[in-house]
Amino acid sequence: MRKFFPVEELARDSRFNQVTMKDRMADPRSALVKDEPRQKSNRLVPSRPDASAAARGLMHGIFVGEIQALEGAGRTCHDFRTAGDSARRAQDDAHGEDSFADAVPFALKLDMARQAWDEARHVEISVKLSDWMGSEIGEFAENTVLFQAACSTDPILRLAGVNRALEGLAIDVFTTMKEFGDLAGDPYLEFCEDWMLADEVTHVKMGSDWLRRVTEHDPDRRKKALEFQSVVDKLFSYGGTRSDSQESPIGLARRFRELAGFTDDEVEDIAEVSLAALEERKASVARMQATAREFAAS
Amino acid sequence: MTVTVTPQTFQFVHFDAALIQRVAESLTAALGLDRPVAIEVDETTPLARISVEIGDTVTIRAESGAFEDTRRPRHQSEDATAAALGRVLLRSRDRLLGGFGEAPADDDLSLAQVAAWETYCVGRLERIGLPVNRQRWKYNFRNRHGFSDVADLAFDRLWTSDGLTWGELDEISRAAAGS
Repeated sequence: MRKFFPVEELARDSRFNQVTMKDRMADPRSALVKDEPRQKSNRLVPSRPDASAAARGLMHGIFVGEIQALEGAGRTCHDFRTAGDSARRAQDDAHGEDSFADAVPFALKLDMARQAWDEARHVEISVKLSDWMGSEIGEFAENTVLFQAACSTDPILRLAGVNRALEGLAIDVFTTMKEFGDLAGDPYLEFCEDWMLADEVTHVKMGSDWLRRVTEHDPDRRKKALEFQSVVDKLFSYGGTRSDSQESPIGLARRFRELAGFTDDEVEDIAEVSLAALEERKASVARMQATAREFAAS
Repeated sequence: MTVTVTPQTFQFVHFDAALIQRVAESLTAALGLDRPVAIEVDETTPLARISVEIGDTVTIRAESGAFEDTRRPRHQSEDATAAALGRVLLRSRDRLLGGFGEAPADDDLSLAQVAAWETYCVGRLERIGLPVNRQRWKYNFRNRHGFSDVADLAFDRLWTSDGLTWGELDEISRAAAGS
């Protein structure tokens, strides 16, 4: 079976349309809040006039994110060899593959298998919730950035990118959606998000624990993994979609991140990176809009 | 009746002014609206708000997200264009035909009143053949009126109604929200 599957070849049927982060950032339009009398904040709350439409869009984003998280965890079970697996080693040698040989403890793979099981359940829950909210599968574009973070050839970088950055984002998103369901009085949304949130906290905790254990005697590798996580965290801030600012639809779930093993300093770093992403996006949109206006006037 | 669209060419999105015009002409004919319609698209934002001002001309101001294909960002969806324009054109027709004289100005409508009126409009659009997702609008209505059997019955009543007055519509909304 093939290892290190590229994002371009993820299996999807014709209902799905995939977009990249580059496509998304090339959009010169801005949803950032203007001086509007009815909308003081972009935060996803039921009092927003477009609340149900925005919630449906975010729910679909969760759905495709769960598919990609399932694919990522499944790949990690398969892509890396455990110590002492001589049959697999012979197979890899025959194919000339020797990257990060014997680098993954078997228990780490077991955790990834458990995570894949969780993610499959989340996909099913997300499909049912989307149906409940009146969305169809594939109704919104699928951003493939989540799986891209799961393509690293170093299992520890992959854990940092997927379990700490991606699943960390999931904690923020599920917290926002859970609060939305609670405030709106939607019994299914609040309940389902709460259960999925509990799993996500566990997934982040697994990533934090394995990162610490595997790199215990390899500070350089740990440093590299944390740097990779920081890059992914910035990407996952989606140009300001997630930050402490009220301009962002999704807030930073500090308490649940703490439960998942993030230190206070790490949470502060993510907060800073997210705000920087928001400011960069605003500046980028301003530049693109000025260029477009100049072009229209010429 | 004449329909005009501005801008005629788009810089930020891949929209077609002629398609917007054609959809609006078809809708005004189907709904029997007897005034010129001017459609102004704000392509600088992906939000989907749409507002209408009724004078000698019905002026519609739409943010680009209202006409967008959510599967293909920055591209236009004919179905979304028809659904967005249909809702505001029906609301305009309600105000022009009478029975809605007591309705507050659009900016003064509560979120529950907006959801109730949208339900009433989209139900009628479905009956003239526009493709709409009923569950989507039910979810929108529930978010404003509560997740209850009473709210669902109110939704069904609004969805299947024709010829309501503002007083009747508002009463259905109030009763559902207070249940």
